[in-house]
Amino acid sequence: MNTATRFNAPSPLQWVSLVTAAALVLPTGYIMYLALTAAPAVWNRLWSTRIPELLWNTLSLATSVALTTLVLGVSLAWIMVRYEFPGRRLWEWAVVLPLAMPTYVLAYVYAHLLGMGGPTEQWWQAIMGSEAKLVSPHSFPGVTLIMALDTFPFVYLLARSALLNLNVSFEEVARACGVPPWSTLWRVTLPLIRPAIAAGLALVILYVVSDFGAVSLLRYQTLTYAVYQQMTGRYDQSAASILSLLLVVMAIIFLVTERWFRRRSRFYQTSGRFRTSTRRHEGILGTILITAYVLLVFGASFGIPAVMLVQWSIAAVAQGALDARFFGFIWNSSFLSALAAGGAVLIGLPLAYLASRRPSRLNLACLQAAYAGYALPGPVAALAVLVLFTHFVPALYGSVILLLVAYILHFIPVGLQSMEPALQQVTPNVEEVARTLGCTTRETLRRVTLPLIQSGCITAWVLMFLQTMKELPATLLLRPVGFDTLAIRVWQEASEEYYQLAAPSALLIVLLSVPALLLLVAKDWRGRDRGVIT
Amino acid sequence: MNPVKDSEPYHHLQGTVPASETGDLRVAQSPVLELRDVCCAYEPNRPAVEHITFTVLQGEILCLLGPSGCGKTTILRAIAGFERVVAGNIALSGQLVSSPDTLIPTEQRHIGMVFQEYALFPHLRVEKNIAFGLNHLSRPQQKAIVDDLLALTGLRGLEHRYPHELSGGQQQRVALARALAPRPVLLLLDEPFSNLDPDMASRMRQDLHTLLRQTKTTAILVTHDHDEAFAMADRVAVLRRGWLEQFDTPEAIYHLPTTPFVADFVGQADFISGLVTNKLVVTEIGEFPNTKNFPTGTKVVVMIRPDDIHIVPTKGADARISARQFKGSENLYTIQLRSGQIVHSSESSLSMYEVGTAIALRVVATHTVLFPQPPGSGTDT
Repeated sequence: MNTATRFNAPSPLQWVSLVTAAALVLPTGYIMYLALTAAPAVWNRLWSTRIPELLWNTLSLATSVALTTLVLGVSLAWIMVRYEFPGRRLWEWAVVLPLAMPTYVLAYVYAHLLGMGGPTEQWWQAIMGSEAKLVSPHSFPGVTLIMALDTFPFVYLLARSALLNLNVSFEEVARACGVPPWSTLWRVTLPLIRPAIAAGLALVILYVVSDFGAVSLLRYQTLTYAVYQQMTGRYDQSAASILSLLLVVMAIIFLVTERWFRRRSRFYQTSGRFRTSTRRHEGILGTILITAYVLLVFGASFGIPAVMLVQWSIAAVAQGALDARFFGFIWNSSFLSALAAGGAVLIGLPLAYLASRRPSRLNLACLQAAYAGYALPGPVAALAVLVLFTHFVPALYGSVILLLVAYILHFIPVGLQSMEPALQQVTPNVEEVARTLGCTTRETLRRVTLPLIQSGCITAWVLMFLQTMKELPATLLLRPVGFDTLAIRVWQEASEEYYQLAAPSALLIVLLSVPALLLLVAKDWRGRDRGVIT
Repeated sequence: MNPVKDSEPYHHLQGTVPASETGDLRVAQSPVLELRDVCCAYEPNRPAVEHITFTVLQGEILCLLGPSGCGKTTILRAIAGFERVVAGNIALSGQLVSSPDTLIPTEQRHIGMVFQEYALFPHLRVEKNIAFGLNHLSRPQQKAIVDDLLALTGLRGLEHRYPHELSGGQQQRVALARALAPRPVLLLLDEPFSNLDPDMASRMRQDLHTLLRQTKTTAILVTHDHDEAFAMADRVAVLRRGWLEQFDTPEAIYHLPTTPFVADFVGQADFISGLVTNKLVVTEIGEFPNTKNFPTGTKVVVMIRPDDIHIVPTKGADARISARQFKGSENLYTIQLRSGQIVHSSESSLSMYEVGTAIALRVVATHTVLFPQPPGSGTDT
């Protein structure tokens, strides 16, 4: 009994987490700084030329996608929660699958499906005459459709969980007051799930605003795409950082909106015991209509694209696409992703641990700093890392290290979202009991805490691995010369309209993403109301 | 209405552990734990506990009793070394472990702890849970101790289960066995029965008491339930808002509470104001001996328990029954006196009187206690 300790000495762990947090906000801070100190002439040029158009394009696209996902997501959630029809349990899961398809994959499939001379146009012209035109995938409605088909599950998931947690007594009270069913829906049910829907829409908008894959393949000018172009075409870093600043501000606005509504939605839901609504059994006609609708949405968003990918892949394999180069891409992707995910777990763990065990203002701030990556679209994360390294450590430019740093910065929030609840589930009592049984802090960590959060860390690793595997813009901008990954190959082949060649890589990415997505949704549906961010 | 004058039989209880129960440990044994003037605070200027002083002797079972928020768990956590003390000090087996600038880490204090939620390690089987604190011993030694404890706690046959495969009572036994395995100098139990249903809780209470005596374990148990404290403890510390109100044997706490709060907290009590006249305390329900020798003319409050007040239905009497509460083993009557003062009477479960019946009271004052009347207060406390 001799190691009496003094008060308030900051532990090594504290230092580690402080340094990490600082390192994670540094790149973002630096481009903010570059943007704000850019020459007024650059600001003026951008304001008078590009910015109004880019802002309009980005915001109008976000709005139209949000409205489309609102209709799709809420209607599907309503059907899945309130109706019973054959295969409902399967459909409930199936309509989440579009989240496993990166936007650049969906965009490239649709570029073929809806493109000039594509199958849909031929079919349409056979009916409507040879002059009939379809909506172009490169047009505003085309991009809207593709983005909406990829993102409506965000709204679906949140609306579904809100409807399931809705105390049916509210509706029964309304009916008892003499309000007919249709108007009960408008006056009671929808207002009650409104915060959840709003949170879902904010997530959709965030996704659209920061998307690079679809807009770059469809050549639709948004802010995110413009940042990429400034960096590759014009090598204008100060213009790129000004556009990035706008993007980050927008992203933060929608992130805050999403959090606010999500917190609010808890007040609208009944905790504890309550009755949920029963599912309605429809007649034959109703069942056919419902099934047709669900089938249509699923087919357009996942079914048909998946079938196309399989067909193309078979054709590509027959032509010998699975050569040594292809396996080289797989190796590059896996190697990078595994390193990035591992690094992020190691870096994220001290932050999450301190925030849950010693939730002082400082420790919570460190954790929040790690979430900064959320507000960075891929090209912006790449820009941030690039300018920081070229200005201060130019020797590392062009190495894999830049890529790893960008990945960790960009995806550590995804990992923290799995590690944080895992740590919170370990009650401090369990650790304290280990101390009374003679374990030091370090032994307690090794024998109790780490074994208990192991599965949470593995989940975090898997999710970050897959996110990195799918990542496109940062990889494009930062990879060493000639270093190709699966995602890069899909994008490059698709840009050149080699649809078949792109298919095996795309299919592989989708196939790997599906189990991880289902894992995440299953966790969410087991009761804890945590966000599914893909 | 003649109070029985003799309140002597309970006087010997004050400040003494009955020798028959603990083998007169007071004389023979040194204290295992000493708290001297201990203050703890979660935030500066908002003390959670203040100036707590007491000692616990070898083999003794102490209960910290009080309403929620009174600081009893804080004291437990300070003893375990989870909370710092901002003033005073704590000594375990004669060694200083906590003071404002000393904090011996928990793992060096050789204490055992059973948490309210048991805090079993969910990733370890029962046997591994119990053996958790025995890492310094060889495998066969560990196994011998675990086997002993499995037998002692009645957990044989469950050693390969995981915690989630056990009932609440079994989980608690595992938590207890795990805490006892390293032979701690002091066992701390934080509301150990609060997660069990009442039948189970009273059985476990019996078993725990036997087990602690068998293993000669010194223990501190935190509870808000006075029945539990009385059933388990050799001595009880009653706490209120971070202050130690009384530290004594259960019998003395019940019969000779030193403050009105203690009197009220450990059982139903009524407080009747009286005036000291001529060596007697005169009240609305009769006269009582002036046990505390207050000078004549002092306004005092007399605490009286329902089992000392009996009902005699009397036509034309001033007092009326205003409510009856059937409790199974007794009837608890609420009685309104002429002045409006309320008192309670405990009658046998078969004695039934209508609400509104006029009654006289027969007071058998075995445990009346006098308190000086708090300034400015009315008849009722």
